[in-house]
Amino acid sequence: MATYKKIKHVLYPDSTITLALYSGLESCKDLRKSVMEGTVVASLLKPSMIVDPFQVLTAANKAVHLSRTNNMTTKNVHSEILFCLSPSKNISESFRSFGAADSDTSVFVAIVDDAEDKTLTRISEILGLSPVSIDDVASLADTVLITKAYKLSEEEISTYPILDALVSRIAAKEIITAGKGKN
Amino acid sequence: MAVLQGAEAKLYLGGDFYGRPCIIKERFQKNYRHPILDKALTSQRIKSEVRANLRCRIAGIQTPTIFMVNFDTNSIYMEEIQDAVTVRQHINTVQAAELNPASACSQLKPLAEAIGRTLAKMHTSNIIHGDLTTSNMLLEGDPSELSLFLIDFGLSSFEASAEDKGVDLYVLERAFLSSHPNSQELFDCILAAYTDQTQDKNACKEVISKLDEVRLRGRKRTMVG
Repeated sequence: MATYKKIKHVLYPDSTITLALYSGLESCKDLRKSVMEGTVVASLLKPSMIVDPFQVLTAANKAVHLSRTNNMTTKNVHSEILFCLSPSKNISESFRSFGAADSDTSVFVAIVDDAEDKTLTRISEILGLSPVSIDDVASLADTVLITKAYKLSEEEISTYPILDALVSRIAAKEIITAGKGKN
Repeated sequence: MAVLQGAEAKLYLGGDFYGRPCIIKERFQKNYRHPILDKALTSQRIKSEVRANLRCRIAGIQTPTIFMVNFDTNSIYMEEIQDAVTVRQHINTVQAAELNPASACSQLKPLAEAIGRTLAKMHTSNIIHGDLTTSNMLLEGDPSELSLFLIDFGLSSFEASAEDKGVDLYVLERAFLSSHPNSQELFDCILAAYTDQTQDKNACKEVISKLDEVRLRGRKRTMVG
């Protein structure tokens, strides 16, 4: 399985982030159930909201940093990844738009500190599938939906690659949302 | 990792953020300030810097992509613009190569127009850069392609007033004329493009007349009366 990626955190080299993509699932129901019950600890993301693995990496990087500095908004680092990825300040809305749903036929998985890839192996078992190349997520992305969710302006999309627009927004989320109303 | 030191921050060059070239701008502690004030000012400046950067992007102006903001170390991780020169370097290169000032000026005219258009976009979105100099503008790739980036929003603010926009232009004019000899004509090109690009002609006229006023009195408002 050379298809998934396990990456060391930029600030905390003792922490790793695993990214994997599964496609062609019948349903995401069993996996979601295991995550809800806590037998599998991972973030399940909606591939249609992801243009590039780097987008998830930015959110995961931030989530790990917030968890290390005790500044998380949500309960754990995996839910924080979902929250960081979303432009919304509302946790349940973030989960609804960026978390995998039961009916999804593909899922993007992010796992923090997966020792010996145990969690990833367990996920592959539950789904009965091996992960595909994470870069395939680009072909699953729904840019219209993404543009709407992140409220990207037309000038912005014509000036930048969409990924860069998203990355900046994810990195600066609390700063832009805090600035609302004032000016 | 190369380090550049400014008055407000240290810049670490040549970093890597998950495979993308990255620079880290770290605002260090100022020991001459009261710690509480220092903390408040630093965090406020980081926020306004990031906010202005994003606002510019939304307006379609090129700025470095922000990768991460670390409030613990007061650092901003952002994209390193590869293969870029500052506008200042570029003007110096052109002026040094071209002994005839008139022909140097005509070569730099398209750049001046690009700067004017970019600033018009920025001011239309009510973003005041606060520190417009030719060193805070980058040209990516071949300078003739005019891929202009604005950087360093550390002193930026959000104001709709003609006064602030006028001062912003005045700061650039002073920086322009003091770092580049024989450049009044170029600055006039910037202003012409700025005026041309701004949709709201009345507001623009007001900004230009404020600029004339500021030229007479300097950047600081007169406190008489």
